[in-house]
Amino acid sequence: MHTNAFETLADPTRRRIVEALRDGERQVNDIVERVGIHQSGVSRHLRILHESGFVSMRPDGQRRLYALRPEPFRELEAWLADYRRLWEARLDRFGAALDQRRKDQDATKKEPGQ
Amino acid sequence: MNDISPAAKAAPQAAVVVERTYRAGVEDLWALWTTKAGFESWWGPEGFRVEVHRLEARTGGALEYDMIADSPEAIAAMKSMGQPLSHNTHGTYAEFRPHDRLKLVHVIDFVPGSEPYETAIEVDFGVAGDQARMVVTIHPHLDPHWTKMSVMGFTSQLAKLDKRFGWMER
Repeated sequence: MHTNAFETLADPTRRRIVEALRDGERQVNDIVERVGIHQSGVSRHLRILHESGFVSMRPDGQRRLYALRPEPFRELEAWLADYRRLWEARLDRFGAALDQRRKDQDATKKEPGQ
Repeated sequence: MNDISPAAKAAPQAAVVVERTYRAGVEDLWALWTTKAGFESWWGPEGFRVEVHRLEARTGGALEYDMIADSPEAIAAMKSMGQPLSHNTHGTYAEFRPHDRLKLVHVIDFVPGSEPYETAIEVDFGVAGDQARMVVTIHPHLDPHWTKMSVMGFTSQLAKLDKRFGWMER
């Protein structure tokens, strides 16, 4: 699922559609206006976003209203949390290396003959 | 809908920011990023080590090293993913302002099925009294293959680190 979520958002037009929907549900015409590409392109990307779970659609008379769904964003956040922990672990190694470096420097100062 | 907006905003330009403060001189922190011995002393995920072959400490300077699986767990993980145990890695110091700011751009050219692409790490350094502050901004790869590999390859390592450092699961 993480893979699909990142693959879905790797496309810049789809990211623009997601941003257009950030403040709430919209119909296709609104999205076309905000994203600035032809309606057929928006419809194609909306279909992909819908199939991958990013976007829901509900009919409202003649209109179709699109909105963001929270689930894939929660998964992305969880992935980013894991990523952050990976880097925090790396920086623990950085801290240990820094301590070692300072110890080596102190040892050199105490033994100037070396 | 309130719980969606921050994530939706963050996801397209996702960046991870990690900040650390050390009781050390900023020049020591800088050296760990910009010298052969310094870089080799800590770089890489748990279970890996690096051997630096080229490090040009200047703006636009090249960084070239081998990332080598160095523990039984890392070797097993790389084998299970069909990855070589060592790969030659290239980067560039896109920004190089001593003791102030560093931008290290890596070329990711080892992901099967993916065209080479670049990824950036920015590091800002500062001094507060006798302490040195470091802010690391990492731009995670949106490439799905790398994502899959990282999740498969590193999550198990994290569990081990958590244990080692006595961290609690969130």
